[in-house]
Amino acid sequence: MQNSGRAPRTRHSLLTGILGVLPILVGVVPFGMVAGAAVRQAGFGVVESIGMSVVVFAGASQIAATTLLGGGAPLWVALGTALVINARMFIYGVSIAPLLSDAPGWLRPILGYMLVDQNYASTMTDGRFRDDVDIVWYYFGGGASLWIVWQISSVAGALLGPFIPTSWGLEFAVPLVFLAMLAPSLKDGTAIGVAVVTGVAAAIFVPLMPLQSGLIVAILVGMAYGAWSDRPKPDEAS
Amino acid sequence: MTPTAQFWLLIVALGIGTWSMRSWPIILHGRVPHPPWLVRLLKHVPVAALTALVVPGALYLHRGIAYSFAPARTIAAVAALIVAVRTKNVLATLGVGMGVLWLAQMALTALG
Repeated sequence: MQNSGRAPRTRHSLLTGILGVLPILVGVVPFGMVAGAAVRQAGFGVVESIGMSVVVFAGASQIAATTLLGGGAPLWVALGTALVINARMFIYGVSIAPLLSDAPGWLRPILGYMLVDQNYASTMTDGRFRDDVDIVWYYFGGGASLWIVWQISSVAGALLGPFIPTSWGLEFAVPLVFLAMLAPSLKDGTAIGVAVVTGVAAAIFVPLMPLQSGLIVAILVGMAYGAWSDRPKPDEAS
Repeated sequence: MTPTAQFWLLIVALGIGTWSMRSWPIILHGRVPHPPWLVRLLKHVPVAALTALVVPGALYLHRGIAYSFAPARTIAAVAALIVAVRTKNVLATLGVGMGVLWLAQMALTALG
């Protein structure tokens, strides 16, 4: 009896995870196209764009690494910049690991590979509040959908990119999707405070600091503010 | 080394580095202690990370390392924020944000 109902629950979790990222995919398409087109603009081919998207699977860092190397920067500068941009994923990993602790050992390296902004955000802002899903399969469904759409749109960008005018500003869809995911999380004073502090820090540090390291500084400042804001008060300390 | 060979080296090195940063915390979970202060810090990662991903793109255009203030984007982002808070709908936010961006770009161009 213990096993009955498990397969439908897994399927339901996968499906809910896919539905969770569905609206986000609309923002992933232009992002993937920009990443694919960047590889062509840097002077490389469609095969290289596929290699980049499959092996790395992390949009902002792909674009930065590609444009830097294509623009004549040394390999280590392109690599260092892209790794700094992706360092936030380490924080995501530490933050999401407790939710994924039911995953078997063989699955964990794949779950790590699927850890992108969109899947992290969907799991943390939607999936973990649903008690009818196995969060591991919810996360897997979202990650797999994002992966497929990312690969298709980056190939499309490599093929069509040179024909899309930059004045359309399609890459603006990327912050808009994150904004839409952020809004429902701003439900108490601490969360709004964290957003304001992080936002001010990002506005100041991202343009000032090298290699986009300002992004991580802003996240850490926001986390520190939140932890300080939630600190145990002396009378209720345990 | 040819530029293409360099690019492949970049792909492989970036792939390994990125995978390591994302995966080791998930793989090793349970074998590394989570003290309460760390839990308190991690609670705020979603809001902080999403905000940090939104704000630079909402304020600035950047080409390479040069950042310039982009008023059309800022206007569009404020409109999108209002829609996002009111509707909590990703597609409505995206539609209004892109629509206002195009209108604001046209208006700012017309004003010279």
